[in-house]
Amino acid sequence: MPLLSGRVTGQELVLLGVITLLWLALGVSTDTFIQAGTLSNLAYNVAPIALVGIGMTVVIVCGGIDVSVGSAVTVVTVIVAKLVRDQGVSLPVAVVVAVGVGALLGLVNGVLISVGRVHAIIITFGTLNVFRFVALRIFDSEQVAGVPGTLAVLGGGQTGETLHVPHAFVVMLLLAGAMWWYMRNTAGGRHLYAMGGDRLAARLAGVKVQRREVLAYVLTGVLVGLASCVVIGGGGLIGQNVGVGLELQVIAAVVIGGTSIMGGRGTVLGTVLGALLVGTVASGVTILHWPSQLTSLFVGVFILVAVGTDVVRERSRRRA
Amino acid sequence: MNAVTTAARAKDRAPGLGARALRALVTQRLVLLVTLLVGLVVVMKLLERGGYLVASYSSDYLAASLIDAVPLGLLGLGQLVVIVSGRGGIDLSVGSMVSVSGMLFGFAIGEWGWPLVPAVLFALLSGGLLGAINGFFVSAMGFPALITTLATYYAYSSIALVVNDSSPISTGPIQDLTWLTRPVELPMFGQYVPDFPMGIFLFAIPVIVLLWLNVTRGTYGRQLYAIGTNDTAGRFAGVPVGSVRFRAYLVSGMVSGLVAVVTVSQFASARPDAGTAGNGMALPAITIAVLGGVAITGGVGRVVGVVVAAVLVVWLNAGILLSFEGSEGSQYQLLALGGVLIFAAILNGVTTRRYGGTS
Repeated sequence: MPLLSGRVTGQELVLLGVITLLWLALGVSTDTFIQAGTLSNLAYNVAPIALVGIGMTVVIVCGGIDVSVGSAVTVVTVIVAKLVRDQGVSLPVAVVVAVGVGALLGLVNGVLISVGRVHAIIITFGTLNVFRFVALRIFDSEQVAGVPGTLAVLGGGQTGETLHVPHAFVVMLLLAGAMWWYMRNTAGGRHLYAMGGDRLAARLAGVKVQRREVLAYVLTGVLVGLASCVVIGGGGLIGQNVGVGLELQVIAAVVIGGTSIMGGRGTVLGTVLGALLVGTVASGVTILHWPSQLTSLFVGVFILVAVGTDVVRERSRRRA
Repeated sequence: MNAVTTAARAKDRAPGLGARALRALVTQRLVLLVTLLVGLVVVMKLLERGGYLVASYSSDYLAASLIDAVPLGLLGLGQLVVIVSGRGGIDLSVGSMVSVSGMLFGFAIGEWGWPLVPAVLFALLSGGLLGAINGFFVSAMGFPALITTLATYYAYSSIALVVNDSSPISTGPIQDLTWLTRPVELPMFGQYVPDFPMGIFLFAIPVIVLLWLNVTRGTYGRQLYAIGTNDTAGRFAGVPVGSVRFRAYLVSGMVSGLVAVVTVSQFASARPDAGTAGNGMALPAITIAVLGGVAITGGVGRVVGVVVAAVLVVWLNAGILLSFEGSEGSQYQLLALGGVLIFAAILNGVTTRRYGGTS
């Protein structure tokens, strides 16, 4: 594969292989998996996780982490859902507001972490609670019911698809592709890896570490905004627990995709594949009529296997 | 040497009492927490005097609310041991471990008719086994703790749900367990002090004392802080690094097993999502540990700090519940937890740079 060699990491090839095997196995053993309906549903479900995963990859690669994304999705979702329902705002306005609010939440994280010089996991644990408080205040003890289909074009229904491909999935792929290219081929992208590898060395080499760090969290916020639009597009009822636990799913996708939690290593392509793998497992468990709770067990095992191969590869690389 | 220079500098400038008090307040986490605790009680008492509360912020109420500090504080202590062990130590799986141990405890006592003591030991053992799995991956295989425990969080939560087909166990013997957590009148001088919940004496105090002895007075504690501060230095000093770190995760698992007993008796039911519902139990536990002065980088943290932090958060929550009607109170609890955590963390960062280290 001369085209792929050097562009795709080992972890990504392994993931591609595993996903292909799973699809083949599911396609052979069931007659409902390889169907437009099932696959487009799978793609739609993967889209928000992979969207936020793009930002999370950047954050983790440059040495941080953001566990507040679930609560941030809750905040953006309830604000935009209420705007769409009560003010009847149009699609572009809704998306702009979503992205703006998401970016603002990301900015709060970024500034607290970068200027406060506190470990990212602590600040985002804090903002996880604070964002959730903000969201619950806006919910005002009620679900948001009867949201009109303004955002359905990004949703999982008929209007959200072209040729059975959900638009949300296409948007995610485009953004992931752009980010993948940026991180591989531009100086700014390489700076992200440099920061994660050795923060001090990167600063001495002239990387504007603080500014890039804040931007990474703002980017994650922007993607949280887009993911929220996808969630709202999915249905007319927004419950108060929307987004809860999303951070763990996103981090799982990033880690399965081969990004090192220590920073400095990882690709957006891997994250997208990781999210696809998790989505495939969830979809497969449903189609095989296994108890849906088994999905988490498989996700856990996949994380351990992914980290195991990463640890082994890193050791052999160091020895070599 | 650092102490000498600081003392010398202090003598040069001869700061007044006020300056020294301020310095203690911002550099010593325990002083800050105790001050906040006293301030909280005073403010709540003033609010009560002014008639702003829906019920009395009385000592009976405070004593009874301490039962919420038992699971929170114990899990916080588990996080203390794990985080202090260093190399990115953290345990995200405690909530799932509570769920699994709780279900097994529920089976033992509610379905198989075991007596209480063997059932509690069974819960401890099952929690310990789950913690040992975490410890094996982290210490023997060298996996990052955050990811290992994220994976086992998923795996264990799935096991807890599958084991009884997602339904809780609440048979007669389990419903009879509520005496374990209900407030009791102390013997001898019981009428002079408020009734404290039984769980404090049965679970919290023994664990706190045991951990404190081990961490501050035993060899294990010295080794734990040593490897948390510097892994390599610990190894050269002859510390069995792998074994010490493994035991930290084992402790966290066993504490989770014990917390499972508390939650089962508190709710009179073994729920398969006891530790994972909502945001789960891990996030509050880590928050308590960090608030109590545990440095996320390892090697720093005190048992007393975590205990006081747990009491502070629980009494703050209890006060917030009285200040609002309806469900608003539980929302403001989230704001308080997040706000206090960020405040403490940033204060920590600022004081470390200003005064060079916090104890």
